[in-house]
Amino acid sequence: MPREPRPGRSPGGKAPLVTAAARLDSITRRFGAVTALDAVDFELVPGEIHGLLGENGAGKTTLANILGGLLVADAGVIEIGGRSVELRSARDARALGVAMVHQHFSLVPRFTGFENVALFNGEAWARRGVIAPGYRRQVEVRARELKLDVELDAPVAALGVGERQRIEILKALMSDTRVLLLDEPTAVLAPQEVEGLFAVLREVAGAGTAIVLVAHKLDEVLAVADRVTVLRRGRRVLTEEATKLSARELAEAMVGRALAAEQPAEGEGGRTGQPKPDFAPVAFLEDVTVGTGDAPSLRDVCLTVHRGEVLGIAGVDGNGQRMLAAVLAGVVAPERGRARLPDEVGWIPQDRGEEGLVRDFTIAENVALALHGKRAYRRGPWLDWPRIGETSATLVNELNVLVGSPEASADTLSGGNQQKVVTGREFLRAGQLLVAESPTRGLDVRATRAVRDRIVRLARAASRPPGVVLISADLDEVLELADRIAVMVRGRLIPVGPKDQNAAAIGALMLSAGSSTP
Amino acid sequence: MTPRPLALARLRPELMATITAAAAVLATLAVAAALLALGGHSPGDAFAALARGAFGTWDRFVSFTLVRATPLLLTGLAVAFAFRARVWNIGAEGQLHAGALAGVAVALALPGAGALLVLPVTLLAAAAAGALWASVPAAMKTGMGVGEVITTLLMNFVALFLAQFLVQGPLREARGVFNQTDEIPAAAHLPALLPDTRLHLGFLLGVMIAVGLWLYLARTPGGFRLRAAGASARAAEVSGRFSVTPVIWLSFLVSGAIAGLAGWIQIAGVTHRMYEGLSPGWGYTAIAVALLARLHPLAVVVTAIVFGALSAGGGAMQREAGVPEVWVRGIEALVILAVLTADRIVQGMARRAAHGGAPRRQRSGEAGTAPGGAGVQ
Repeated sequence: MPREPRPGRSPGGKAPLVTAAARLDSITRRFGAVTALDAVDFELVPGEIHGLLGENGAGKTTLANILGGLLVADAGVIEIGGRSVELRSARDARALGVAMVHQHFSLVPRFTGFENVALFNGEAWARRGVIAPGYRRQVEVRARELKLDVELDAPVAALGVGERQRIEILKALMSDTRVLLLDEPTAVLAPQEVEGLFAVLREVAGAGTAIVLVAHKLDEVLAVADRVTVLRRGRRVLTEEATKLSARELAEAMVGRALAAEQPAEGEGGRTGQPKPDFAPVAFLEDVTVGTGDAPSLRDVCLTVHRGEVLGIAGVDGNGQRMLAAVLAGVVAPERGRARLPDEVGWIPQDRGEEGLVRDFTIAENVALALHGKRAYRRGPWLDWPRIGETSATLVNELNVLVGSPEASADTLSGGNQQKVVTGREFLRAGQLLVAESPTRGLDVRATRAVRDRIVRLARAASRPPGVVLISADLDEVLELADRIAVMVRGRLIPVGPKDQNAAAIGALMLSAGSSTP
Repeated sequence: MTPRPLALARLRPELMATITAAAAVLATLAVAAALLALGGHSPGDAFAALARGAFGTWDRFVSFTLVRATPLLLTGLAVAFAFRARVWNIGAEGQLHAGALAGVAVALALPGAGALLVLPVTLLAAAAAGALWASVPAAMKTGMGVGEVITTLLMNFVALFLAQFLVQGPLREARGVFNQTDEIPAAAHLPALLPDTRLHLGFLLGVMIAVGLWLYLARTPGGFRLRAAGASARAAEVSGRFSVTPVIWLSFLVSGAIAGLAGWIQIAGVTHRMYEGLSPGWGYTAIAVALLARLHPLAVVVTAIVFGALSAGGGAMQREAGVPEVWVRGIEALVILAVLTADRIVQGMARRAAHGGAPRRQRSGEAGTAPGGAGVQ
């Protein structure tokens, strides 16, 4: 989309005509033996949107946290508004006009949007416990200035993700803000909402605030950012104007090598092919309803999954996908309707940190979550830990998990490696059906590729492949992997047929859902 | 960053727990020494007297320290087992009283029976009563979602007053002088473990239960499920594909049963009758015993002996060094604070070392992971 030139922004992007909003000079930060940031320079010009990209663990969150005052650098200089400063806390950063919107929002669910805004801003308070009478107007005026469409009077718990995010942004921008840091703001949004967010960001940047957009999705960054910085393994590898970059260049900068080798040949797994008609159905739901009242989690869901196909289920988060996955995995029984489900179901849950893994457990113990019930892994009354260890070691090797041994705690793994463990374990179980819920959320380019390839390969296996149900809010992912597509809207499953449907139509269907159902 | 766990994070958890616990005890002694000095006592004399009282002679160790450690060992195991499943059973004190009452009542009802009958039956009765007492909070938690911290705690008062009522009324001794029961028949006495000492079979039972719980937790599918449910109930249900409700029930019942045994074993092994104020709060000290052991059943044996030694040495400290025995209670309390603090510090260090750049996860992790600390405030 066309971008208008903004006041205060240098045309060249390299030699700013005005004082930098913030400048990080040769910042180094270590965590024990790991160097998260290695002499990184980073500069923000007032009014620019600056995309910050990198694989998981490249250091982008560390960089954002240092600028946000949450982490202290080991070495290097931070300048804000032209003055060298020391940031010892988020409060210090805030006082200097640096605000941060975290990926997981920090809102009090029971408070209204207005109360949340007030809670964060000291000047709102007339005295302890009493919000100054004029503050409400200030908030409304500010929201209008920023063209932020916010619901101020409903409890935050009742709002959709996009609405909550707008409240977070308003909250951060109530007082003078030189720098706004956003950590993965689009991860939770539907395509249309992303557009809305970007419009807001352009508005905010137009008013002179510098915005740092930490992100994974290259296209989005290219669509909205003025400049892009790529980090790899703690070093800055690139800072360039967005218009001069392509998604491929960015991806290669992030990964550090050409990507072509890792792309599976089109059609190799039959990604463009149709489900093979002779494969038998493995799972079957008919008019399944779970939950009661006005907003049941699942409403009259019908679905059939065949061996060897990938059924893609798109939809904005929170429209019943979680419950659908739980039903398919046999963890929740339908309250109404019929279900015929196989015994061997793998389930890659959405939240790998809380559901896919026990973080205090070792890798072997986490693998044992799938094995502890199996006869083959018992000796008399005892669990056969040596055998479980062997299976885990095999898994770790196969998946290239970068750890010393299966005895490492799951908590010490990076997000991508955690997902590899979960994926590998659930593949062990997926004899007949695999339910993959947002399997690549939060993963970097390479890990995403690896997980997607494995899923396709599983479904295309020559002999007795399982059926795969891919549930994802990432429409591109669904379009890439699925043979058939359906959309979840407020607990209903709406089939949209073969994948050659156009993305915009599916997106519109997704958005008709809103995002606030349980 | 590439995940490269540092030395600290790579240490075996058991070793780390031991270091933490030892550091906590040392820190406690240092603080206690400073306080004793402030109070005008000589810390050296006090600690020497305490050590003599607890370990000075074989008899002091066996007949005092180990005997006093026994109820702490059992209640400590009860608490540790429940806490491993993230069931915050603060009710060991009440379950102990329930077990004591049941054991005494059954023993008194079987005056002529032989030891081979009376001992198993009374032990079973005590365990059953403790489990029964724990089943009320268990039903409230699993059925209605009522937090067990409150319910188990309140059940303690019910048990205490019930015990008071019974020893003042229905179970009061025949001669009617004191608020206590009649002496239990000799057949119900727990035999001595070592000749010429007061150490009774109960201590051995406690050690055996510790070994049993350890094997259960470390080696069996059921124990694995319990640990998984305790470490993350969501992950247990989603990735383990089992319901945590039966696990919660089991941990309540087993915990209550062991605490119930503690009460009856104290009577059958030491006092031979039930009276008001049987327990000086073992069920609460048990929480410290369990936390200091980082909820590891075998370590509970050690920490129970540490607390038994404090209790046995406290009297000696008062007699020989003129330091009031309440100091021992203070030291016990300090140990709890030190353990919780050290726990948090060491875990924070380990986590920072392991995950470098993810402060958000550190925070979200705290509530979920610290087995000792988090849930007990």
